[in-house]
Amino acid sequence: MMLEVMNTLILKAVLAPLVLFPVAAAVLVFGLLLKGVDRIVVARLQRRVGPPLLQPFFDILKLMSKQSMVPIGAPRTLFLALPMIGACSMCLAIALVPIVGVYEPNGQFGDLIVLLYLLTVPAIVLMLAGSASGSTFGAIGFSREMSLMLAYEGPLLLVLISVAMKTGLAQGDLITFSLMDIVHYQQDNGSFLFDPWMWPAVLAYLSIIPANLGIPPFDIPEAESEVLEGPLCEYSGPALALFKIMSTMKTMVVLALGIVMFIPGNATGMMALIGFVFKCLILFLLTKSLLRASVGRMRIDQAFLFYFKWPELLGIVGLLLVVFKG
Amino acid sequence: MSFLSKVSVRSPWLYRINAGSCNGCDVELATTALIPRYDVERLGCQYCGTPKHADIVLITGPLTARIKDKVLQVYQEIPDPKVTIAVGICPISGGVFRDSYAIEGPIDKYIDVDVNIPGCPPRPQAILEGIAMAIEIWKQRL
Ligand code: SF4
Repeated sequence: MMLEVMNTLILKAVLAPLVLFPVAAAVLVFGLLLKGVDRIVVARLQRRVGPPLLQPFFDILKLMSKQSMVPIGAPRTLFLALPMIGACSMCLAIALVPIVGVYEPNGQFGDLIVLLYLLTVPAIVLMLAGSASGSTFGAIGFSREMSLMLAYEGPLLLVLISVAMKTGLAQGDLITFSLMDIVHYQQDNGSFLFDPWMWPAVLAYLSIIPANLGIPPFDIPEAESEVLEGPLCEYSGPALALFKIMSTMKTMVVLALGIVMFIPGNATGMMALIGFVFKCLILFLLTKSLLRASVGRMRIDQAFLFYFKWPELLGIVGLLLVVFKG
Repeated sequence: MSFLSKVSVRSPWLYRINAGSCNGCDVELATTALIPRYDVERLGCQYCGTPKHADIVLITGPLTARIKDKVLQVYQEIPDPKVTIAVGICPISGGVFRDSYAIEGPIDKYIDVDVNIPGCPPRPQAILEGIAMAIEIWKQRL
């Protein structure tokens, strides 16, 4: 009985924002489709048949119909609230990112800085989830997630600041954090992707994506063969489904942000939508499927050092180039 | 059958329990059943790391005396509805370890087994067929 109530509560918590805000629902569907494409592509690269395209939908619906268990000793409310917070934060984040020519957010809701804060919420939710579950594996996942986050947040910040400064300097201010300003500037002056001075920043952003989204070789916090999926270890049923939704939405936010920052394009209407889908697909295949099919998993210390050396360096070089070249 | 359970059938997640196996069956499960030739992912399956996520449980090994309590405990943690498969001759009858002082099996003394996949170790095709049968049983439980 209790369980039934809990499950419907969770379901409503997810469905309410999605109904209120159809863009998030559309993005979620698209994200799940992308995930299906990814699983097929990886299977084909390994010469397997692979699951059907709609497999991620099946997985989520299946999880919705299962039991949600809370381990003995875990704080029940926090344990079940965390996935909701995570999923909602990502629904909010997607509302802030413009899809050029299709959807323009209201600038008053928030800018790049709010987005940066929202983007760290899933990692923090995962960390809390790991420690709230009271399991050893969750705790290991917690510590790994934290070191990884420390490693990639630096370069991410550098990239965002480079883009914001580039636009800001050109417009006469020092820096602008409005995403629409960044888009308009690129529409008038050409995308940053085609500006060689911005390439270090582009590279840094590309190399952050796998760690940010937990893709091999940087899926260290959720390594299922070592730490039993780490923070997600004790979650089951609808709560786990919420985590899946959260990670799908986060993928979409990160992809959309990359597109906005580096190659927004000028198209409008239908063409813009097709362009967006196409760019997402390319970015996604490049940073997820190919990588996932071809590499193993790093150790946490290796990943940490990697991020401190290369993306950090690229980020600093990118920022210096922006400052001195304008 | 409701819409939800119709869809759920297409996403069974597998979980392996090693109850003291010689590792032969585990190698068959871990590699053969998932390498290019014999892909279980096309049935929608996916190996999951923790018992909390599992739908179909694959048990290998003769249930040794030392590991019995742990296996039963892990089995308890798997949310319902679940389907149990005994992989290899060991969990079914004790196999080469039958009558040993060190084993507590066969496994169906403690756990309701739904599908037996005999063999020492079973062929990958047999494992795939067993999983397909387990999915059929799972369908009725949803
Ligand atoms: S059935 Fe054979 S291969 Fe499998 S665990 Fe037992 S002895 Fe090993």
